[in-house]
Amino acid sequence: MTMTDPPARPPAEPAIAPRRGLTDRQKDILQKFAALGSLLVLILVFSLTSGAFFTVSNGMTIALQVTSIALLGIGATCVIITGGIDLSVGSVLALSGVVAALGVKELGMPVPVGMALGILTGAACGLLNGLVVTVMRLPPFIATLGMMLIARGVALQITGARAVSGLGESFGELGNGALFRMVTIGDDGFPNVAFPGIPYPVILMAAIALAVSLMLNRSVLGRHIYAVGSNVEAARLSGVNVRRVVCFTYVLSGTLAGLTGCVLMSRLVTAQPNEGVMYELDAIASAVIGGTSLIGGVGTISGTAIGAFVIGILRNGLNMNGVSAFTQQIIIGLVILLTVWIDQLRNRR
Amino acid sequence: MPDGASAGLRPDLPHPVRAGEDLLFLDAISKEFPGVRALQGVSFDLRRGEVHAVCGENGAGKSTLMKIVSGVFAPTAGRIVYKGVERRFSSPLDAEALGIAIIHQELNLVPHLSVAENIYLAREPRRGFLVDRKALRTNAAACLARLGVAIDPDRPVRGLSVAQCQMVEIAKALSLNAEVLIMDEPTSSLTEQETRRLFKVIHDLKAAGVGIVYISHRLDEMAEIVDRVTVLRDGHHVATTDFAATTVDEIVARMVGRSLEEKFPERTSRPAGDCLLKVEGLARSGVFADVGFELRRGEILGFAGLMGSGRTEVARAIFGADPRDAGTVTLEGRRLDIRSPRDAIAAGLAYLSEDRKAQGLAIKMPVDANMTLANMEAVSNRFGLIDFAREAEVARRYVDLLNIRTPTIHQPVRLLSGGNQQKIIIGKWLFRKSRVLFFDEPTRGIDVGAKFAIYRIMDELAAEGIGVVLISSELPEILGMTDRVCVFHQGRIAGILETARTDQEEIMRYASGYGPAHSRH
Ligand SMILES: Nc1ncnc2c1ncn2[C@@H]1O[C@H](COP(=O)(O)OP(=O)(O)OP(=O)(O)O)[C@@H](O)[C@H]1O
Ligand SMILES: [Mg+2]
Repeated sequence: MTMTDPPARPPAEPAIAPRRGLTDRQKDILQKFAALGSLLVLILVFSLTSGAFFTVSNGMTIALQVTSIALLGIGATCVIITGGIDLSVGSVLALSGVVAALGVKELGMPVPVGMALGILTGAACGLLNGLVVTVMRLPPFIATLGMMLIARGVALQITGARAVSGLGESFGELGNGALFRMVTIGDDGFPNVAFPGIPYPVILMAAIALAVSLMLNRSVLGRHIYAVGSNVEAARLSGVNVRRVVCFTYVLSGTLAGLTGCVLMSRLVTAQPNEGVMYELDAIASAVIGGTSLIGGVGTISGTAIGAFVIGILRNGLNMNGVSAFTQQIIIGLVILLTVWIDQLRNRR
Repeated sequence: MPDGASAGLRPDLPHPVRAGEDLLFLDAISKEFPGVRALQGVSFDLRRGEVHAVCGENGAGKSTLMKIVSGVFAPTAGRIVYKGVERRFSSPLDAEALGIAIIHQELNLVPHLSVAENIYLAREPRRGFLVDRKALRTNAAACLARLGVAIDPDRPVRGLSVAQCQMVEIAKALSLNAEVLIMDEPTSSLTEQETRRLFKVIHDLKAAGVGIVYISHRLDEMAEIVDRVTVLRDGHHVATTDFAATTVDEIVARMVGRSLEEKFPERTSRPAGDCLLKVEGLARSGVFADVGFELRRGEILGFAGLMGSGRTEVARAIFGADPRDAGTVTLEGRRLDIRSPRDAIAAGLAYLSEDRKAQGLAIKMPVDANMTLANMEAVSNRFGLIDFAREAEVARRYVDLLNIRTPTIHQPVRLLSGGNQQKIIIGKWLFRKSRVLFFDEPTRGIDVGAKFAIYRIMDELAAEGIGVVLISSELPEILGMTDRVCVFHQGRIAGILETARTDQEEIMRYASGYGPAHSRH
């Protein structure tokens, strides 16, 4: 027998121009650069439009504003990678902050103990979220929506809906202090701030971002987080303790919300039970702008950090330019839609 | 073409049959993915009323070629001529609208929708604005009846077995009444019986002038339906010929570039006398009952049976993946209390799942991460940090061992060909050194050469004293590899047979519930 080639055909024009694709890694790097690039463009535009934007002190302000978004965003990223969502962080941070403040003011705890109690409160809320999701098997959206209402309610209840103030100077240290602050005494005898220092919250954010990033990229736990988000059933059949992994992400998110609450209340040296409303949306937005997929399985801390800066800088720059709060919301909303749309376009076909 | 009941959506069909006429012609198609040249100048033609098989090793480019025909991918270069007109499809819907339907290699059903809703997804029969539920049901029932499958069209797809899902996919493609029907490994998890019914339908379609592309690694079953065969190797066209003018051996030689003498390796291992795993009185209400068997050290035990006979369910229950109502599992004389797959893995059991996309792989993750997922302890230190060098070494070892075709070990597994994905699951469980391995359809979608390699690995495992359970719908595989066979029938073990002293007919008899009564030995 013989195997022949198919019959010859009349020659044809080369029909479709060659198209080259990118590997996933290249795409990933490209996406980071694109995000970073747009961040730089933002900075450039705001520097040109407002003289006060590109200054050391405004840089510090931005960094401080970004810390809360980033801290919450880091937690949100881990939760979203597993395919979940945490809507409760805004309320949990308020509850944690007022618990810390009440601990110090009413129970006479030392400030670090009070704050530890606040952070623990956040962790406990996270654990509850995790258990409701894994044991009671409620959808994460519902579970954390419930917690959002409950935590806010408790915060208002225990404070009688009033701000807790008169907390003493040491309560403000975490939020207002800075490392390497350099003050020189001038010729006139008055102190001059040569370098405002690196605020503690910024250091905290950088350290936590590094640690969580390490956890996600290099540890078995991180691998399991991605595996659960990529395919729960495959992860379960491979021996991953799905419940524990999922619970962990909610605990992490709650803990970071607790920490954020303490930082924010410390900055104001007042605990506001109404603090942090809608912060969960900023957190989720920063993760999504940074390339985290709401379907799960995909996301990085570096991306979320960039996302947090985009939101923070947009807010600050628009403020500096006197754009109204309403218009700001519209612009940030559009930015979210645009980034996610571009992301999807890139991933098609 | 089809009888009135299941047809009805495309009134312009059937076409008058003009046998031999060119329906589809692919001219020098090339396709590049980043780092992969999947196809290079492949030409292909399909006539009305013929079944044209496409053969090739895993990763040869078969599915890619068919995804180009059905509008999933655009070719990097080349032309698609359909019914004499050059076409460029910008989406699968384009191709579908022109009468090109495809049954994809991977299952693509929506789990929470019913069988009927899946079959008519996005094409629901309507009455005004509303879905005509009655028509939906009856049409779907007719499609299923044509394939002779007893699945309730109202059932959600979620609970169906892989074989049942495959039948639903086939029913869905048939309901399109296409002129070109592409079947990418439609029988990979079907048993003999369902395959027969499918072939009957294929014969009917042929007679009605439909052009069928048929991709399968089960070469032996092709003789019955295939008219011509095209062989691809490494993205190149190797040959096209009449099936009658060639032999399976010759096709295999073309595929792998050398001839394969044997289909199964010599069994070097012999089961030792002592019992390794003992299962007694295993039951789950409504699924299986009274299941008991012993697996000896170094034994390969087959699980045979028809679709839905409970083989997979029993394995999953032993492994702790599904709940069970009664029964004990004893490993090396120690009674196991398995509540989850984690417990089972810790005790030394492994279960290689049947459905790779839904249960086997974290498809967004790379090759190396999937390979080590079930055995992270072996590639991490005591602080839980991963040793990437070690992980890469492990991944490379199994990529080589199983001849997995991937540009790098960092490639996300969703970008690999179906057979290569399957090999990754096998690698994953080989790396997790277990004492008892359940292989559920391990060679599903795997090419002949690689099958041989996997059989040899099974034999080596058995020779090391490991117990292997081989669940398979392919009786030749069961007969070629196992020492004994448990034949399942409707959730019970109908008989346990010595492989050396049984044959296909006897197994089928037990599987259909007749058992020894009709035996004439
Ligand atoms: N989307 C994609 N991105 C990158 N590479 C791809 C993509 N799809 C397929 N490939 C690669 O193209 C090659 C051909 O794949 P294809 O799926 O066509 O193989 P196949 O012949 O169908 O194999 P199998 O028998 O395993 O199903 C493989 O090397 C595969 O890894
Ligand atoms: Mg394929």
